[in-house]
Amino acid sequence: MSSSARSPWRVPEPAPPSHEPAVPGPAAACAPAAPPARRALRAAVVGTGKISEEHLRFLSRRPGATAVAVCDLSPALAAFAAERAGGGAKPYTDLQAMLERERPDVAHVLTPPHTHVEIAARCLRAGAHVIVEKPAAPTLAELDGLLELARDRARRLVENHNYRFNRPVRRIEDALEAGRLGLVREVEVRLCLSIRARGGRYADENLPHPSHGLPAGVVQEFLTHLCYLALRFLPGEPDRVRARLENAGGGAPFKFDELDALVDAGPARARLRFCCRQWPEGFTLTVRGTRGTAEADLFQPWVGLMVPRRGGKQLTPVVNQWRRGAGLMGASLANFWRKVMQVTPYEGLETFLAQTYDALERGSEPPVREEDMRRAARLIDALASPENRL
Amino acid sequence: MRVLVTGAAGFLGRHVVAEATARGHRVRALVRPAAGPALPAELAHELVEPARADLRAARGLDEVLAGVDVVVHTAASKSGDMYAQYAGTVVATENLLGAMDRAGVRAIVAISSFSVYDFGARWAWSRLDEASAVERDTRRRDEYCHTKLAQERLIRAHASARGWRCVTLRPGVIWGRGNLWTARLGARGERTWLRIGALAPLPLTYVENCAQAVVLAAERIGPAGTPEQGPAAAPREGLDLVLNVVDDERPPQARYARAVRAIEAPGARAVLIPWRVVLALAWAAVATNRAILGGRAKLPGVLVPARVHARFKPLRYDNTRIRRELGWRPRYRFAEALARVAAPPALSTGSGEAR
Repeated sequence: MSSSARSPWRVPEPAPPSHEPAVPGPAAACAPAAPPARRALRAAVVGTGKISEEHLRFLSRRPGATAVAVCDLSPALAAFAAERAGGGAKPYTDLQAMLERERPDVAHVLTPPHTHVEIAARCLRAGAHVIVEKPAAPTLAELDGLLELARDRARRLVENHNYRFNRPVRRIEDALEAGRLGLVREVEVRLCLSIRARGGRYADENLPHPSHGLPAGVVQEFLTHLCYLALRFLPGEPDRVRARLENAGGGAPFKFDELDALVDAGPARARLRFCCRQWPEGFTLTVRGTRGTAEADLFQPWVGLMVPRRGGKQLTPVVNQWRRGAGLMGASLANFWRKVMQVTPYEGLETFLAQTYDALERGSEPPVREEDMRRAARLIDALASPENRL
Repeated sequence: MRVLVTGAAGFLGRHVVAEATARGHRVRALVRPAAGPALPAELAHELVEPARADLRAARGLDEVLAGVDVVVHTAASKSGDMYAQYAGTVVATENLLGAMDRAGVRAIVAISSFSVYDFGARWAWSRLDEASAVERDTRRRDEYCHTKLAQERLIRAHASARGWRCVTLRPGVIWGRGNLWTARLGARGERTWLRIGALAPLPLTYVENCAQAVVLAAERIGPAGTPEQGPAAAPREGLDLVLNVVDDERPPQARYARAVRAIEAPGARAVLIPWRVVLALAWAAVATNRAILGGRAKLPGVLVPARVHARFKPLRYDNTRIRRELGWRPRYRFAEALARVAAPPALSTGSGEAR
C-alpha cells in the first residue's frame, strides 16, 4: 500500500511563530498554475564532519533553500563550516540557542549516530523538519518515538538513504520495472571497507568512535545502507533473519567488524555482507530475478545486465559477456573522468536531498517515507538481535 | 619550571622533553592513551612525568594541566583529510586552551609552521621573515597549511584576549634521524627521485636545535625567565612573539638531497626538473582546467601553483629575530647534525648528553 494514501502529512502545518509558513498547505500544493512565490527554506546544519560538505554544497546550489546556520561543539569547526557554506550562514556551538534564534525550517542532523535521537528530537520540538544521517536511531523503538514526535509537531523526519538514489540503483529499478529481470528471487548487497586500517577514524584506539557503542557496533553505522537497498528489491517483508556478527580482526575498540546475513522474504532471499578489512573497497548490489540478473557497483559506478538476448539460448551468454566487457570499458573511462571532476559516491545524496526539499516545499510525501525508515530499522533490529545469530 | 609538553612522543616533542630535562625543568609529557607501554627513551627520565590523554576530547585535561607553569604545544595532525587534521590540530587546541583557562595556566609556546606563509606573494630570492604575509587563501594550499594557520590564529587570539604570555614558533623544515625527506626536494619513489629545483636554500632546522629554541621560548615566558637573564626578563602579562626557527646554515636543495641520499638510499636515481618548468606546467594545467572543465577538475598537488611556490620557490631566510629575542645559538652545525643522524642511535637520545 502506498503510504501516501494514508499519510497524515496532508494536514496543513501550523506556521512557525515568526515566519511565513515553511511548507504551504494543501491549497497551495494543489494550485494548478502560477503557485505563489515561496520563500527559501531556512536550513541549519548540525554537525560539521565530512558529510556536511555534501549537504552544504547542496544547499549552496538549491534555489529554494538557504543555509542560515551551522552548529558544532567546536567553535573553530563551526566557523570553518560557516565560512565554507558562505551566504551568511552563522556558526553556533549551542544547539538550543541556534534553534531559538534562527528558527530553521529544516535541520540537517549530521552528528555521530549515538546523538541523533536527542538532537533530532530537539530540532523537531523547535519546529524544524529533520533530515538525519543514518541510522536515525539505534533501534526501531527509538525511531518510532521520533516519528511520533514528528507527527505530533506536524513535521517530517527523513533518514538519509542516499545510495538508493545513485544512478546504478535507479538503473536496476528501471530494468525491474520494465520486466527485464522478471520476479526478484535473490538480492545480494556487499559493502566491504578498509576502516580497520591503521590511522582510520573507526580504528582509532585513542578516541574510540562512538559508533562502537551501537548494538551491532560500528557495523550498525553501515547496516542501514545494506538494509534499505535489500528491502527496496525484496518482493515482501522479511520473515526469517539469520546473522553472523563477529569481530574477526579481534580486540578493541571493535565489538564487531563483520556481518554475514541471510534474510528470507517469501520466495526471495537477501544476502548481506559487511566487512571492515578489505582493500580496495567495494560496494556492490546484485538483483537476481526469474528472467535475468543485474549487478551494480556503487563505488565505481557500473551496471551489468544478464538477460535474454537476441541470438537465442546459445548466444545469449556470449552476448551478455560482450556487453558486460564493453560496459566495463566504458565505465572505467567514465569513472576516471568522475575522479578528475571530483564526483563522489555521494552522487545519490544530492538527488535524495533535492527530492526531499521538493516534498517539503510542496507538502508531499518525501522520497524516503516513514515506512521505509521503519522497515530498515526493523530489519536492523533483527540483524543485531542475539536470537537471530548464526 | 614545570612544563607540559603535548605531543611528547612525537618527533619534535620527545626532543623538547630531552632538552627541557637537560636544563633542569620538570616535564609533564602528554602522550595519547593508546601509546604503547614503551615510551620514547627521552621520556624515561626522573624529571619526566608521563600523562595520557587525547586532546581531541576535552575530558581529563584538567588533571593534566594542574600545577603547570608553561605549556609547550607540539601536538598536531599531519595526515588524514581536512576533518581529521582539523580535529587533531584545531579542535585539540581548543580543548587545550579551555583546560588552560580552567587551570589558570597563562603561558604557552605554540609550535606553528613555515607553511603558514604566503609564498606566492613573494619574489624569488626575496627574504622571508616574520613580517612576511601569511597565506590569504588556504583553500589553494593543503590541509596542513589550513589547520596550522587556524591553530596559530586561535592560540594567539585566545592568549591576547587574556593577557597571556605567548611565543609562536614557526619552524622551517625540522629534520633529524628518521625524518630526513622533505617535500621541498620533490617526490620520492623507491628507486627514482623526481627532484624539483636544485639551488633553493632550504629553511632547515635540525630537530635538537629546534628543541633547544622551543625550551628557550618556554623559559622566556616561564615564571623565572631565562637562566641567563633571570626573573626580570620574564614578562608578567601580554607577550605575543612570533619567531621563525631556521638554523644558521640553509643548504641548497642539491646539497641536502645528496646528504639524504647518502644516508637513506645510496642507489636511488635522481631526475632533476627546474622548478620554473613545474610552475609553468601547473599554470598550464590550471588554465586548461578553467577553460575546458570550468575549474572543477581536481589537480595533483604538484600542479597547484600555490603549492609549487610554497615548496620549491627559492627564497632567503634568516634567524636574526629569534637569536635576538631568545638568545638562541643553534647547537649543531649542519655537518655535525648529519654526523649525529648517521651515528648509532645512542648518541642522539638527548641533547643533554651531548653537552
